[in-house]
Amino acid sequence: MVSNLAVAILNGIVWGLIMALIALGLNMIFGLLHIINMAHGALYMLGAVVAWYVIELTGNFWIGLMVAPLCVGFIGLIIERGLIRTIEDKPIITIICTFGLMLAVQQLVLMIFGGSPRRISPPIAYRFPLFELQYPAMRIMIALISIAMMIGLWIFLRKTKYGLWMRAVVQDREMAVALGIPVTKVYMWTFVLGSALAAFSGVLAAPIVSVEFMMGREVLIMAFIIVIVGGMGNLEGSVIAAIMISLIQGVGALFVPPSIATVFALAFMIIVLLFRPQGLFGE
Amino acid sequence: MFIQKGKSFGFILIFILILLLLTALPFFVDLFYQTFLTELFVWILFAISFDLIFGYTGLLSFGQALFFGLGGYTVTILIRKFGLNTELSLFLSIIIPILFAWFVGFFSVKLTGIHFVIITIIFAIIGNIIGDTWTSFTGGADGLTFSPPPFRLGLFQIDLTDIKGNYYFVLAIVAISFLFLRRMIQSPLGKIFISIRENEERARLIGYNVQRYKLIAFIIAGGLSGLAGGLYSLTLKYASAGYLHWSVSGHAVVYTIVGGMGTLVGPAIGVGIVMSLEHYLINFLQATDLVVGIALVFMVLVAPKGLVGLIQSIFKKGETSA
Repeated sequence: MVSNLAVAILNGIVWGLIMALIALGLNMIFGLLHIINMAHGALYMLGAVVAWYVIELTGNFWIGLMVAPLCVGFIGLIIERGLIRTIEDKPIITIICTFGLMLAVQQLVLMIFGGSPRRISPPIAYRFPLFELQYPAMRIMIALISIAMMIGLWIFLRKTKYGLWMRAVVQDREMAVALGIPVTKVYMWTFVLGSALAAFSGVLAAPIVSVEFMMGREVLIMAFIIVIVGGMGNLEGSVIAAIMISLIQGVGALFVPPSIATVFALAFMIIVLLFRPQGLFGE
Repeated sequence: MFIQKGKSFGFILIFILILLLLTALPFFVDLFYQTFLTELFVWILFAISFDLIFGYTGLLSFGQALFFGLGGYTVTILIRKFGLNTELSLFLSIIIPILFAWFVGFFSVKLTGIHFVIITIIFAIIGNIIGDTWTSFTGGADGLTFSPPPFRLGLFQIDLTDIKGNYYFVLAIVAISFLFLRRMIQSPLGKIFISIRENEERARLIGYNVQRYKLIAFIIAGGLSGLAGGLYSLTLKYASAGYLHWSVSGHAVVYTIVGGMGTLVGPAIGVGIVMSLEHYLINFLQATDLVVGIALVFMVLVAPKGLVGLIQSIFKKGETSA
């Protein structure tokens, strides 16, 4: 029992950190562009699929982890410049547009990649003993990479010029324009960064889950939950909410069926939406 | 405004002509296309009910799948497990979704914009998970099959296991629902819905209880979505938890955007075009949703008012140049 609990807690934290990265991308885009990106889950899936091809070609997981976010970030660039830019002031229309994009990307992957799930084997096969069970060291590695990524993101937002601009645009767009900040460029790079983050987490998740064209659908919903519970536009809130919810789901699944745990999480989210639309950790 | 009182006569004429055409059609096309058209009518009902809530009232609800699925399950379970007759089952496939729409809407209409979209998705997901998990009652993802007894209304009787009979049955109900919705939108109630879409703040200042009217629109749309679900399972003799998936609501979004939101005629045309497109593309392409997705993005960018809006603007240009 103790070992099961330990595994559940570790899994919850690892998965929570991956979800945090996904939710961070979604939340950055929302906080800045006020867009709900329905295609975010599809970009996450695309990251894993691109990585699968790269790994097939090179046989190296780490190259996949580098290349996939770059490719998907570039696709994000095209999406932002080509589509979102023209409709950015109509939030409901952007939801529909990105929903169409989600369908198109999923089906394109279905056509090229096929419908059957595939696996990416973890580059680190070592398992360390955990009480009477064994735990794959790769998952710890994934957690560490996620944490490093978040620290990098934090430094980027706090210490660089672009980070300063992004925070300025979130606070007051008009004033940012008046001060000469290239707002449209900031929008673009935020979307690119958000897309690349989704792809990065897709590659990180690939050794744990299987790679298939629908893998982004449920993740998108979980990311929504996290962003809302943590507070829209509140990045720290997203990280806390991601780990909290994953832990509750992971540990809860030991005691009740996982679907019931999800229903409770969703009901909880409705309550948050109704009574604290600014999120649990908002002011 | 697409629907005007002066155009009423022309509309009724065209409506009757189309109805006559569709009545004659089963004598010229085979059983496969009769089933195809019956399904098409059902989706028209689903699309126009979505148009009421999105196109007219301005609320993007991804939760319509919940009511569609509830309608489908009401018919299936009542006939299969409780041996109820078809008339009452179909009637309850409106009433039960209405009660759920009341409950869901009560919470949802308190929120606006993106929050409204998300809370409706959540309700649909909860429905889908329950449908998937409670297999003893719903059959889960495999679903439940049933065989409907004949539909009786007084002396009138129709056999729904007969494809042609089912075709006329669905056609009649969808046509009546279409007229009902059109009449409602022309009524003062419909004008209030439109005023909420155009400017919620102003509608409130005039003195309308905006939340109450949003709830009314949500309940009516929910009831009609339920009816569509009921008819769908009567046509397929089957219901599954897949009906409840929030992406089913996405169908309605696609049809409405492609055809033209806030027009009723538009979503109906949208269903016809998208479904025919899918039907022909399936021969070359296994992933038909690819084209649907691209069409959706394209329409949103190029013609946000849909095909009906596009045609209207062409006619208007013609009028001014002539």
